[in-house]
Amino acid sequence: MYLTNGIVIGVINAISAIGVSLIVGIMKVVNFAHGELYIFAGYFSYHLSVSLGVPPLLAMPLSIFLIFLIGIGMERTLIRPTYGDEMYSLIITFVLSIVLQNAALLIFGPYPQKPPNWVTGAMNIFGLYHYGNQRILSFFISIGVLLSIFYLIKRTWFGKSIRAISQDREMAALVGVDHLKVNMLAFGLGAALAGAAGVVLSPIFPVTPSGSSSVSLNAFIVVVLGGMGSLKGCVVGGLILGILENLGAAYISTMYRHIFGFIILILVLVFRPWGLFGQKTQ
Amino acid sequence: MGNKKLWISFAFIILALFPPLFLSQYWLHVMIISLFYVMMASSWNLIAGFTGQVSFAHAAFSGMGAYTSGMLTVYLGLPPWLGILIGTGVAALLGFGLGYLCIRMGGIYLSLTTLGFSEILRIIITNEDQWTRGTMGLQVPGFFVEYSKTSYYYLFLIVTILLLIVIYKIIHSEMGLTFRAVLNDEVAASSSGINTVRVRVLAFAISSAMSGLAGGFYGHYLMLITPDVPSLGQMFLVLAMAVIGGMGSFAGPIVGSFVLEILSEYIRVYGEYHVLLFGLIALAMARFAPEGVVGILRKKWRREWA
Repeated sequence: MYLTNGIVIGVINAISAIGVSLIVGIMKVVNFAHGELYIFAGYFSYHLSVSLGVPPLLAMPLSIFLIFLIGIGMERTLIRPTYGDEMYSLIITFVLSIVLQNAALLIFGPYPQKPPNWVTGAMNIFGLYHYGNQRILSFFISIGVLLSIFYLIKRTWFGKSIRAISQDREMAALVGVDHLKVNMLAFGLGAALAGAAGVVLSPIFPVTPSGSSSVSLNAFIVVVLGGMGSLKGCVVGGLILGILENLGAAYISTMYRHIFGFIILILVLVFRPWGLFGQKTQ
Repeated sequence: MGNKKLWISFAFIILALFPPLFLSQYWLHVMIISLFYVMMASSWNLIAGFTGQVSFAHAAFSGMGAYTSGMLTVYLGLPPWLGILIGTGVAALLGFGLGYLCIRMGGIYLSLTTLGFSEILRIIITNEDQWTRGTMGLQVPGFFVEYSKTSYYYLFLIVTILLLIVIYKIIHSEMGLTFRAVLNDEVAASSSGINTVRVRVLAFAISSAMSGLAGGFYGHYLMLITPDVPSLGQMFLVLAMAVIGGMGSFAGPIVGSFVLEILSEYIRVYGEYHVLLFGLIALAMARFAPEGVVGILRKKWRREWA
């Protein structure tokens, strides 16, 4: 049961972390506002379906698309001028996270909200225990999102451009990759992935404006654990974190759920600072 | 230090002696808090502005200083000054440890890990309430037998001035030179024999110790330490003060601290909007005027000012 929970959360962790990893990989920018985008996506999907009466399964992609647009706007106005200046991009995205968090508090209020479930009931898994249909559906949607991301990165022209830029920006520009456009789309995609994790997880765990920092933190831990810029690392790291946190919360202490993540982070930094699948040299 | 700068500094110090004579208790409190922020923003600026590394644990280290000293004075009956000394040492050691682990991997790792450290510290302090009193706050003894805002004002003034002198000396010493060498061109600095990682770890440990010191004094002034001291909200305020005032300059964080703290007292009347407002201003500054208010003024006056 806890293991299943861990795997479900782990896959969603992976989606969220790929959003961060993609942006770090090609732009060397850490998006500290990642968790806030997740929270906004949760609120969008809640308000679209509850306040505006949009069917939940339509509200979901619509919210993700809105977050994608916000991401593109962020890159265009604030991030683009900071390329090459790591310090200012860190400061700007951190300030942005505080601004968005306060904006969320102002717009949506401090109360936890949860979009309606898409499905109800539970089913019996392998005759062992009952598991909520909502979680099972979330799990399969996440797997679908993961597969399409891998397809996008490994098989399409856009993915090739992304990989080219992350390997060698100047060479990529020389062979005709428009790196500004790719950066913008990649940032939007990274934001959209935070949004995807948000809409998939919010029917299970309600969103609150103050919950954003733990979302960001989870994604960062997974990225460092898996190795910066590595997609495979995100999936494996996401599963490891998801499973360990759930087992730890179940058998040791719920209050310290996030501390397991931090311990993992420190252990990685001590023993294998480049992560499970990262390159040893930077 | 140029002669003119010396005179300007003296003039400011002399001016700073008078506020207790005419300010109300409330505004004296605002001045004391501003002095605390001057210490925080200036020491944060020492690593961010001068070595280009963004730490998000500065407020967390000040919380370490405050809680270490607070618990030592409450549970062991140590005098506050000894508690603050130990708190500063704890912050320095933690800063050294985190810095050593992260900085060899690059600035991004430091930012991520310090952010994590802040969150974890908040969770631990909130949950270990048998020791820290959690969100209720830990009541700690003050410095003086008879509580007086005037005495605290002068205490904070002296500590702040001493801290600023140390920062000034560091910036203008050989060590400061290597800081800036590392900031401007890492490759050139390391090829001319500077151990860039060691310089950065050292700067980070010094700056963390300073925030521990500031936090210790802050705690014994408020006499009630809550998890707000090491919070990310506090971290944001310190960062905004340095960014708006002007990073990488000595005067920037000092100006930023006073302006923002006094401004937030006026805005508070309309509700808790000051964080949102400061965030937007800081974003605009970082985007359009990365040298901050001091940089803008300096350009305008075209003369050496700070």
